[in-house]
Amino acid sequence: MAQRSGMHGGNLLLAALVAGLAVSACAPKSWVVLLPNEDGSTGRIIVSGPEGQAEVAEAGTAASLDTAVPETFDVSRGEIDTTFGDALQAQPSPPAVFRLYFELGGTQLTPESAALLQDVLNEVGARPGADLSIVGHTDTAGAAADNEALGLERAHFVRDRIIAAGLKLDRISTESHGEGNLLVPTADDVSEPRNRRVEIVVR
Amino acid sequence: MAVWLRSLRYAAILLAFTTSAYAESDPIGYVKTHAGAAFVDAGGETLEAFPGLALREGDVIRTGDDGRLGLTLLDNTVMSVGPNAELVVEEYLFRPGEGELGLGVRLLRGTMQFISGVIAKLRPEAVKVRTTTGTIGVRGTRFLVKVED
Repeated sequence: MAQRSGMHGGNLLLAALVAGLAVSACAPKSWVVLLPNEDGSTGRIIVSGPEGQAEVAEAGTAASLDTAVPETFDVSRGEIDTTFGDALQAQPSPPAVFRLYFELGGTQLTPESAALLQDVLNEVGARPGADLSIVGHTDTAGAAADNEALGLERAHFVRDRIIAAGLKLDRISTESHGEGNLLVPTADDVSEPRNRRVEIVVR
Repeated sequence: MAVWLRSLRYAAILLAFTTSAYAESDPIGYVKTHAGAAFVDAGGETLEAFPGLALREGDVIRTGDDGRLGLTLLDNTVMSVGPNAELVVEEYLFRPGEGELGLGVRLLRGTMQFISGVIAKLRPEAVKVRTTTGTIGVRGTRFLVKVED
């Protein structure tokens, strides 16, 4: 869920009024405003109209979408909450990523990862309508074709444990990247524990 | 076999064909949150939203006066809309292994939050959010859009 500010009703109303006054002179009906990312960084958007472009790279900066050339303007936090409160409240939890590690050459989880599997199950349980992608990986020890198969066995092992906990099968995808997608780059035929893993995205 | 029974069977086969072409296309994401009047127009049907409802390319997401809906696509793109919104996922291509990537979204009306995912990370120029008069190019980011006639 989106974090909402803890403003009191009076302050919220005041902020909305001030914001309303600030943009009432030329408020566009259709506009876009940039927000900071979850990690605190801010990206960029390029807004195009029929006759020109504007780039927005600062959080809180908006651009009109109903003018021939987009015009930029600043928007207060209060106005963002007033206009977009419902859309923000409907935001699903950001996808959660887990890595489980395996012992050499099979589908035996390391003791730490066996314990972490419970966290994965908890995360799935906490998300109504969860869907998962599970990708199996190996290190470079052994033949590439065998590792392709082993990666899939690892992905299926994790999938089966999750299904046993009650999630519907049609919302889990599994695949193997074999030894083709190393977390820690190594030469061929190197046993590397950090590459023997399954990556799980819980959405 | 009676003629009416035969034609009934043909009708059933025809219906199975028209709906299966849609049902066989792969899901591109799932509904995660909803409140109030929230619907998905999918393959000629209107479905009430629920968490876990599969979404496919071309589906129309609609909300009423008291509605809102949140969804997550398979590349971790997250979108959510407020009341009186209409949103279409016009194009979705996520096959990173083959280098096939694309996301085209159109907000016809209402409010939306967009949080970009893996497609925008791998190929930013392949992600576009369109409105009636404008287009938003995405460079790995989170933003809000409002469209009003």
